[in-house]
Amino acid sequence: MFGNHVHKQLSAYLHGELSAQDARRMADHLRNCARCHAKFEEIEFGAQMAGRLEREQAPDDLWDGLELAISSHRRGAKTAEVSGFTWSPLKVGLASVLVLAIAVLASTYFRRQPEQPLPDNRPTWDVTRLDGRPSIGKQRIAEKGKLPLGEWLTTDETSRAQISVGQIGEVKIEPNSRVQLVEAQEDNHRLAMQRGKMEAFIWAPPRKFFVQTPSALAVDLGCSYTLEVAEDGTSLLHVTMGWVAFEWQTRESFVPAEAKCVTRPRLGPGTPYFADATAEFQAALTQFDTGSADSLDVILASARKRDALTLWHLLSRTENDARGKVFDRLAQLIPPPEKVTRTGVLGNDRVMFDLWWKELGLGDTEWWRMWKGDLPTQSR
Amino acid sequence: MNELHNEERLIEACRQGDRESFRQLFELHKDRVWSIALHFIGEEAAARDITQQVFLKLFTAINHFRGEAGFSTWLYRMTVNACLDEQRRRRRFLSLDIFRTDDERNPMEKQRAREVEQATRQLAQEDHHSQLELSAAVKSAVRQLKPKLRIAILLKYFEGLSYEEMASVLGCSAGTVASRLNRGHRELARKLQHLRSGIETGK
Repeated sequence: MFGNHVHKQLSAYLHGELSAQDARRMADHLRNCARCHAKFEEIEFGAQMAGRLEREQAPDDLWDGLELAISSHRRGAKTAEVSGFTWSPLKVGLASVLVLAIAVLASTYFRRQPEQPLPDNRPTWDVTRLDGRPSIGKQRIAEKGKLPLGEWLTTDETSRAQISVGQIGEVKIEPNSRVQLVEAQEDNHRLAMQRGKMEAFIWAPPRKFFVQTPSALAVDLGCSYTLEVAEDGTSLLHVTMGWVAFEWQTRESFVPAEAKCVTRPRLGPGTPYFADATAEFQAALTQFDTGSADSLDVILASARKRDALTLWHLLSRTENDARGKVFDRLAQLIPPPEKVTRTGVLGNDRVMFDLWWKELGLGDTEWWRMWKGDLPTQSR
Repeated sequence: MNELHNEERLIEACRQGDRESFRQLFELHKDRVWSIALHFIGEEAAARDITQQVFLKLFTAINHFRGEAGFSTWLYRMTVNACLDEQRRRRRFLSLDIFRTDDERNPMEKQRAREVEQATRQLAQEDHHSQLELSAAVKSAVRQLKPKLRIAILLKYFEGLSYEEMASVLGCSAGTVASRLNRGHRELARKLQHLRSGIETGK
């Protein structure tokens, strides 16, 4: 078998795919043929490099889109089932001829056109092109387009688009962004943002519009805001009017106008802060939110009266002595009401937390806990 | 054996329309589909679409799975088809290439070639090879392989399939698999030639 050169069998030899007898012959040949040996070393190096490939972990939110597609598929199937159509042999014959003709024509023009798994009876939101050529799914849109449930809107570095959120608001999608329409119900308008930047303006009552990011859920409480999502899933929320809540598992952050909040994968929403807080304060807060408890002293020392928003959130993110320190500093900035005691707050008394919140001048806790009442007014 | 039994149980439950079982089946296999798609196409957005397409097709067609071939083989076949379909679709949109000069043609591949050059140059300049940078150079080189060679390399090195199994997935003979892997290895060795001396001395 190996009287001649053996270049074509080198990978099979390397992978142990040759029979024992052929492998022995191959080994003999390689010992005696410098040319094949050099080729083998080249193949071996290529295999060594390929061996460095590692399996990647699929994104956590893949299932969400798939589940939606399955639901849409099922709805489509159900519609077909209840239509009451019956198949006679004649209809089957005619249909077969028709299907065959379409198949032949289609195959002439499109060789293996990728399947389009989602049916077309999905609800849609209107999309208007602002700049460049944004895409919905794999199709670029000219001036206007429809974003169906489950589909992605993508902008490249030169394109922008505006989405009409049903009847309740508008969202501008900035360049290099990718968003998916996840829910389009009267009480649940929901986008998923994989990356990029959006500017949302919502005029509906609170808790009607949501944006899922890879690291938290942004809940609109009647407002205007920008949301940026980086490739690694870290998100930055900047509220310009009204309120937004960031939620992840049991952690929540309430972000008023002029405040920002960062949310990070596996850590969830960080502690909100006013955009005009000192650089020292913001840097220390970033350290605290990413696990460095030592920075708490810097946060407390550099906090202004307005930063009570941040300190109040820190009460529930600290324990024992650290919470005692936060209590003392917050009490200096905003004295607690009569019924709020140090012991109670250290004991995690949520009623006391809420009573103190009311002293911050950022509205009533009832409003954002129960999602009812008027929008809170702000004071510096 | 338990895993195999568990998979059979899940498949049977999926046939009955059990969504939770499908979720478990998805969790079991999502990383392998994702990895092949991501390394084949090289873009997260497209890999996402391919992975969702594969599992949606799996969900709708699972009643047709008869078990003659292994479930994994069936899944790999769907994944390979979805990847190649995406590749063909992209090629259709590049058909205006004939009007372009060589430099303008296929900017994606040019970009990838630049990535490999950049990564290898950087590595050659450093005394020790960062694992991360090396990994990036390898990924980029794999993405430059022709689709048939690329998919063979991915199936072999992500999934560790035998030549017979790969032949079943790819619908070709084991000899063709051997030939494609051979060419794939050789191409990789040539594209990553600059790293060779550094890595061999670092052995």
